[in-house]
Amino acid sequence: MGISDVIPLPVVVDEELEKWTIWGKPLTDVWFTTTEKIHEIIEMGPIKNVLNWGRKNSLWFLMQPMGCCGVEMLVFGCPPYDCDRFGIFPRATPRQVDVMIISGYITRKYLPAIKNLWEQIPEPKWVMAIGECAISGGPFYDSYNIINNTGRFFPIDVYVPGCPPRPEKFIEGFRGLQEKIKQREDKRGY
Amino acid sequence: MTTANDVLSALQSAFPGAIEDAKVDPERQLWATIKPDKIVDVCKYLRDNHNFDHYSGAAGVDKINEGLFEVTELLASHGAHQVVALLKVKTPRDNPSVKSLTGLFWNANWYEREIWEMLGINFEDHPELYPLLLSDELVGVWPWRKDYKGYPDYTTAERAIERINSEGYMEYHIPPTEAEIEAGTVPVERPKYPSLREREEMEIKGESEMILHLGPQHAVVPGPFLLDLLVDGERVKKAFLDVGYIHKGIEKIMENRTYVQGIPITDRLCYMAALTNNEAYCGSVERLLGIEAPERAQYIRMILEELSRIQSHLLGTGEFLTLIGSAVFCPFLYMIIDREDVLTCIESVTGARINHSFVRFGGVRNDLPDGFKDMTLDVLKKVRQKTEEYKELFLSDSIYNKRMEGVGVLSPSEARRLGVSGPPLRASDTPYDMRREDPYLLYKEMDFDVITRKEGDSKARIEVRLDEIVESCYIIEQCLDQIPSGPIQEKLPKRIKPDPGEAYYRVEDHRGEMGFFVVSDGSDKPVKVKARGPVYAYFQALPPLLEGTYIADVVAIAGSMDACTSEVDR
Repeated sequence: MGISDVIPLPVVVDEELEKWTIWGKPLTDVWFTTTEKIHEIIEMGPIKNVLNWGRKNSLWFLMQPMGCCGVEMLVFGCPPYDCDRFGIFPRATPRQVDVMIISGYITRKYLPAIKNLWEQIPEPKWVMAIGECAISGGPFYDSYNIINNTGRFFPIDVYVPGCPPRPEKFIEGFRGLQEKIKQREDKRGY
Repeated sequence: MTTANDVLSALQSAFPGAIEDAKVDPERQLWATIKPDKIVDVCKYLRDNHNFDHYSGAAGVDKINEGLFEVTELLASHGAHQVVALLKVKTPRDNPSVKSLTGLFWNANWYEREIWEMLGINFEDHPELYPLLLSDELVGVWPWRKDYKGYPDYTTAERAIERINSEGYMEYHIPPTEAEIEAGTVPVERPKYPSLREREEMEIKGESEMILHLGPQHAVVPGPFLLDLLVDGERVKKAFLDVGYIHKGIEKIMENRTYVQGIPITDRLCYMAALTNNEAYCGSVERLLGIEAPERAQYIRMILEELSRIQSHLLGTGEFLTLIGSAVFCPFLYMIIDREDVLTCIESVTGARINHSFVRFGGVRNDLPDGFKDMTLDVLKKVRQKTEEYKELFLSDSIYNKRMEGVGVLSPSEARRLGVSGPPLRASDTPYDMRREDPYLLYKEMDFDVITRKEGDSKARIEVRLDEIVESCYIIEQCLDQIPSGPIQEKLPKRIKPDPGEAYYRVEDHRGEMGFFVVSDGSDKPVKVKARGPVYAYFQALPPLLEGTYIADVVAIAGSMDACTSEVDR
């Protein structure tokens, strides 16, 4: 199938176009392509860098306070620390966010709910574990009700230690995530 | 004035033979062991004849060496006198059963439910003995019993199995630990009870009624909890509350740590009130040890606790204003800026912003740094000026007034019956403040007013908080003037081993009455630590308060309570 079958072109031009390649593939392959192929091409080319640049500079996060770190998360979104200047912005519903922050203790009862929240977030999405409790159970590591290894349930990109970490540490954590997205090293591979 | 000795002699003459080993220690606390079949009569007598109208909580203790369970009921009065009655009931360890007090005190419901699900003590005549904090898989294993083998548990995540339940929702099944299986303590038969969903569906009567879920994650909740509203159109007919989404088992963990290791855990009980939680815990252990902090340390504690009260009220008020609508969103941002200044003052002493672990047994960790007084006075001046500004701003806003006036009204008698304390109770015209009522530290030397309001609505609750900020500023200024020089820490041995006994110590938290009940058996670990928190009482009072209101007012009512889920779940 040539391009002239779709668009009226002189045969000479059509034959000429068939010799052309784009990123090592025949132009006709690229022209009559599918969504997967577009993604493959984006994956190969520098256009992905442009997309990721946009993504990393508008990381909206889910305002879901769970424990002590939730209070610092609240302050992190407010004037003294001003996360807006990095394009980081708190939102209240999972449908509008890119980043979920696990900001506290996950218990047996809350695990299905937070997993459900994570599945409601549209792609592309990232998850951060902030505070000792979210990383390893913290001071409650031996409790009967605490899930002490969050990494088993979520593809966590950034761990921010502290009990609770200061709001400045939140900024550092987000900067780390931005760097990971830029270098294409995040766990889900965007 | 009624004293503890009066109450004790009255009890002994009214119920001869029912009172065993009674004592008064310290002067305002009455300890007594009551015969199990007499407990309801004794409590009824105390409530009707001696004004013990405040049911403050209950604690279950597992005395495995004696083969007994002990339930301690805490009774107090709303201002008629200052006696706290701690009545103990003993029950055998096999087939434990105690008479329920729900018929006398409405708010005994949750406290007894908690003891049932954690220790397996049955409460006769309890109307709804369903689990409150635990997930279904843990009901029946009785995790707070001393012979529970599922603690410590280091591999919860590794054992989790994902599966779909009968209703089509995903859930995680976490099988029992190896230790439990080896010891053969996995229960064969679990208690049977209707689930929350079944209980809700039983209440649906007409075609027009439906259940509206708020939570566990919701834009307006301060932490994870589930509030299910049974609505008919715009009206809320009944509210159901499900808590326990961040139940950490703090009390079980503290039983397995030494006394000093318990202090950092009390911080995390309620992260907005870390200093007062430290104070309550250290105070009760100090009572067990029979020591008192030096005067300078007591002043430092008061200064920091009042500073902490200011920051908590600023955040609580600001957060609430964002909840009820963006019309008053900007005060929140200003309040956070003020709060940062206050936190800087606290941080210069304790070195931490939220979880301080600052108060120690018989003293404090650090002394005040140089220049603390000037810095704090500057901040207080600013906070006071700003608070006046906020009040002016709200009162002149007609939208705010319309939204808040007459919403969620708690009459004084209703507020006492529901067992709330702190600003919501004081907004309902009841001057009940531990700093006045049961003076701890050096509050009896301080000059301050207990703020009250007559209206009892959401607006009054906010006004009480804002006025308390100003009052706290005044207390701190007095403390800074009067603070003497001297030592800040009593000499104590490295390993703290209090004599066998019990102690109860209550303080005025930022949200209400906070008490710690500690039982010691002479070893370096407590037998039982019970935290009696104020928010637990608010949460229990929420469903009856929400009945009959509009959906739009639910947030205005629930938010004005300034809740903290972490302390409810513990």
